[in-house]
Amino acid sequence: MEYRTVKIPDKINLPTMLDFYPLQTEKWTRVSRFFENLKEGKLTTTQCKACGKLHWQPRIVCPECMSDDLEWVELPKEGKLHAFVESIVVPLGMEQEMPMLVGVVDVSGLLISTKIDDAKLEDLEIGMDMELKVVRVEDGKQERYWYRFRPKK
Amino acid sequence: MRRVAVVGVGHTKFGKRDAGWRDLVQEAGKLAFDNVDNLEPKDIESFFVGAAQPERFAFLTHVAPLAAEMLGITPRKIIARTELACASGQAAIRYAYAAIAAGLTDIAMVVGVEKMFMPDMLEAQSNMTCVLDREWDGVNGLSAPPFFAMCAQRHMYEYGTTREQMAMVRVKNQKFASKNELAQFYGKEFTVDQVVNSKPVSMPLCLLDCSGITDGGAAMILVEASLARQFTDTPIYILGTGQASIGNLINGLPGLANWDACRIAAEEAYRSARITPDDVDIAETHDCFTISEIIEYEELGFCKKGEGGKFVEEGQSDIGGKVVVNTRGGLLGMGHPLGATALSQAIELFWQFRGEVPKYRYVDGAEIGITHNLSGSASVHSIMIYGRG
Repeated sequence: MEYRTVKIPDKINLPTMLDFYPLQTEKWTRVSRFFENLKEGKLTTTQCKACGKLHWQPRIVCPECMSDDLEWVELPKEGKLHAFVESIVVPLGMEQEMPMLVGVVDVSGLLISTKIDDAKLEDLEIGMDMELKVVRVEDGKQERYWYRFRPKK
Repeated sequence: MRRVAVVGVGHTKFGKRDAGWRDLVQEAGKLAFDNVDNLEPKDIESFFVGAAQPERFAFLTHVAPLAAEMLGITPRKIIARTELACASGQAAIRYAYAAIAAGLTDIAMVVGVEKMFMPDMLEAQSNMTCVLDREWDGVNGLSAPPFFAMCAQRHMYEYGTTREQMAMVRVKNQKFASKNELAQFYGKEFTVDQVVNSKPVSMPLCLLDCSGITDGGAAMILVEASLARQFTDTPIYILGTGQASIGNLINGLPGLANWDACRIAAEEAYRSARITPDDVDIAETHDCFTISEIIEYEELGFCKKGEGGKFVEEGQSDIGGKVVVNTRGGLLGMGHPLGATALSQAIELFWQFRGEVPKYRYVDGAEIGITHNLSGSASVHSIMIYGRG
């Protein structure tokens, strides 16, 4: 048989929505302040001015009282390790980070999930002090920031 | 509310299948139609398809009409696909049940299907990471194994559950699966030592603590109870349901080792069926990981909070125990094709009540059974209660 060859590309750029990191600018989200503050080294979230509820994740409407009168507050840069795991289950685009240390840090009573940097599994224990670390995410198209935690020095 | 009966079922082989998404639909559908008398595809008024991620695993959406077309079904009352991650299949059964109970339709078919093996398995693994909140939890490397590993870590920390007790869940369920030809892990038995020494995935969870990536399909035909005898001499009945959802992001959950939504869903299910946990003879629970089944014993009311590890260790969830759990082999032994799992659980009860399972796993005299699914970050728990009469 003779066939006409139909070519499809053997490589395509990673589609924007498949890289896991959220879109961060004003054009795409109404909590862009979170990412702007993160770039300055501050972990922030929203708090309801009507009922006082402290949120995680940051929001535009308070789920407790439906008020949209919220303010940005800075969270401590430190917290306590609530749970942790070393995982070899990694999504596309994170292969170079395997095995990955993942945990949950208690910051002012908020349970915040995070990657854990600058540590080995045997260094970690429930209740230990952790500190914030800000990372820049590079993809050649846009500048983005994200948070991680590491054992407190 | 009208009573609802299950009159026919179909269950494909689960595992790494040389078959595509629509092949699994056709296999399951044919088996279900072959299982009932006096019913043709054209008689199906309503059609529900449980499928968690056909968009990612098979690059198909709007799959309910696709599945209906494959089976020659032309619904004229209700048709939809349901998505609730690992509970997608139960969502489909639940909506069929609700529609019949409410009088909107009399005859419904439910198909649950997932095709999860892909040419690139890293892509399959990646798909599962958006089940948790991709933008605030998934981005941090959280998918099911690391999430449930932390549940295990907290349960060990708070209640003293042991590594070996978790492994015993796999040993028990695998014993059942080893003789079940429909199971992905048919023909194998494991010891506690083999489980704890299997490949670390997300410690303390090893490979044998985790349910598999699985292809599979299953189908059920549900009718208004007064019609049931037209289609079979031995229908089974849905006696009650309960479902609860609390939070989604880790910060919104009641706890990693305390699954309050499971307890609330169970209380509602028992109330609606007018039973207590002591009345349950057989349970199909969502053992996506070994730790899950231990926490579920507690929240479903089979034992006290914190004593789930002891419950499996004492054999209370095995044949001859207080409540026999996961006789088909569980998600651990059967594999976990997301959309098909809840149907597979219900089908096990259908076969149990009709005495159609082999003796090694038959629960003699069982009258009442429950099926339970969790989904996502164990934020949602879905429970249905089935009865012989």
